[in-house]
Amino acid sequence: MERRGLDFIALNQGNAQLTGLYRSQIGDWPKFFKMDTLSKAGFVASELLLKKVGERRLEGEEYTHSRAIVLFGSTASLCADRNYQETIQDRDNYYPSPALFVYTLPNIVTGEIAIRNHWRGETSFYVLETPDAAQMAFHLACAFDDPETESILAGWVDSRNNDDYQVFMTLIDREDAADTEWLAGQLDSIINYLNK
Amino acid sequence: MEELILKLKQEIIEVLNLEDIKPEDIDNDAPLFGEGLGLDSIDALELIVLMEKNYGIKLQDPAKGKEIFKSINVMADYIQKNRTR
Amino acid sequence: MARVIRCIADNVVSPLGTDSRSNYYNVRAGRSGLARYESMGNISTPFVLSRIDRDIIDGLCAELGVQGNFTFFEKILLCSSVQAVRSSGIDASSDRVLFIISTTKGNVSLLGKPQEGVEQERVLLARAAREVMRFFGNPGKPIVVCNACISGVCAQIEAMRALRSGRYDYAVVIGADEQSPFIISGFLSFKAISDEHCRPFDKDRKGLNLGECAATVVLEASDNKKCGWELVCGAIRNDANHISGPSRTGEGSYLALMEVLKQCNRDKLAFVNVHGTATAYNDEMESIALYRAGLIDVPVTGLKGYYGHTMGAAGIMESILSMYAIRDNTVLATRGFAEQGTTWPVSVSNGLRECRGSEFIKLLSGFGGSNAALLYRYSE
Repeated sequence: MERRGLDFIALNQGNAQLTGLYRSQIGDWPKFFKMDTLSKAGFVASELLLKKVGERRLEGEEYTHSRAIVLFGSTASLCADRNYQETIQDRDNYYPSPALFVYTLPNIVTGEIAIRNHWRGETSFYVLETPDAAQMAFHLACAFDDPETESILAGWVDSRNNDDYQVFMTLIDREDAADTEWLAGQLDSIINYLNK
Repeated sequence: MEELILKLKQEIIEVLNLEDIKPEDIDNDAPLFGEGLGLDSIDALELIVLMEKNYGIKLQDPAKGKEIFKSINVMADYIQKNRTR
Repeated sequence: MARVIRCIADNVVSPLGTDSRSNYYNVRAGRSGLARYESMGNISTPFVLSRIDRDIIDGLCAELGVQGNFTFFEKILLCSSVQAVRSSGIDASSDRVLFIISTTKGNVSLLGKPQEGVEQERVLLARAAREVMRFFGNPGKPIVVCNACISGVCAQIEAMRALRSGRYDYAVVIGADEQSPFIISGFLSFKAISDEHCRPFDKDRKGLNLGECAATVVLEASDNKKCGWELVCGAIRNDANHISGPSRTGEGSYLALMEVLKQCNRDKLAFVNVHGTATAYNDEMESIALYRAGLIDVPVTGLKGYYGHTMGAAGIMESILSMYAIRDNTVLATRGFAEQGTTWPVSVSNGLRECRGSEFIKLLSGFGGSNAALLYRYSE
């Protein structure tokens, strides 16, 4: 029997407008407007994916630590770095912004998604040179070394400047990751779709 | 004072990215933190930057910020008395 | 049978020395790299920092044969890793050797101040990692762990997992950060930096100090050898609470601790090497997590009073010093601590203590709600 492919969401500046998607599909998380582009892209893609697969959101005192978030990217927080650098570059206009500085850490996007969904599992951000499917599949398989991790929100998220981003998100479980070659193939076709 | 209050509200909305809030939505006497605007510790630090950048008021101690950012009225009053620009 | 992961070589480059041993003995003697600065670049607020002398690094580069157009960040990565790799005796140009780099900000100072002969693209972390791997002739694809202040522990966990998979035989795990005005101004804007030497867990703690360091561990996977330092397990957990403030209940640190405690022999646990940044919130949070994990009576030690917060290097350097301390039957003093200043009275001391255990836990937490713990065990 043919194995079912992974559900995914893939967005880039050419096919989606993040604020528009937030307003039409999400709308109940005003912290969205405080995020940098990297976090906005990761947040919107994760929300659309969870909606697509019909996952119930944990509420109130419900938390889980069996769901991990493992994201990859090549530019990491470069866009936020440049925005923050502008606030400290000139001696006469030196007003370092804490709200911009906090986003100069790329793992903040994993924190934003964890907060929204009440996930207390592992959160990791890895920087690679390119979205390499085999390399990502290997490290995702490694993440299941944690015995508590049952599934991973995995993806690629990049942002070179405030108007430019690329993101895909998918959900994988232990079985998906056990067949690393299959997983790499799936990620590869998602990356191709994203680059189209 | 009225003018300063309106200007301050607009500045707060802008620097804290309070996208869907208009100046008239912010009650002059209501607490800025806690309920209402949903502001957090990073917002408080950003307000400290706003005080220095726009009004030349340096606040070294974040605890002092807590007193000043009680409400728009308290904040405007403090700015009126201490502004250097 | 699962492969055993062992640490076979290490190095620390810091203001306290350019090898692990000299770092350990300087810390044991109570020396600190912290010094007060009145200004730096556009920063005019005083702060305390542990800064590596640039001339010493240039001298060390010449001595080690590290030549080429490298940034300061790349130089300290190389100074540390070249020494560790040489003492391990491994062939780092093999595709069975994985390189993992841990940093928070890498070459970010290039944004404010480009460097002649260095492509601006090296602000990209994997590009900087590529430079290091090229030096060793390693053919692999670069991977950089960028999980804020917990990166150094995460990088060791990831190396352990990759080695267990069987794909690699050795991992070179290198952590470093340069303290440029970028990072210092950011932490100043958070009102998190003290203008005095930091006082971890003390009732009068006023905030953290930043520090520069590069540290390396070389890990080996084997099917049977058990002697020496074994990296037993590690866990990463999120508070799911706030992107910059730690959880008031220490949730993520507590969960990470509970996970590594599953494989810990409690009677052999010598100490917990904590994050202990000396900010009001971090140390309080850690005391709660330790209490909840049943570790309130286990000796606790923090090294920020000697090194400041060395960010990408912290998890690695603090693990290495913990290994040296256990081999020396010592719980290192928490420099700067005087009087209990957390809700739960963790067992912290500003003096050296004797220890008999053979295991330690390294605990870290950071922005993004991230927390991580790992467990090392020594056996003869």
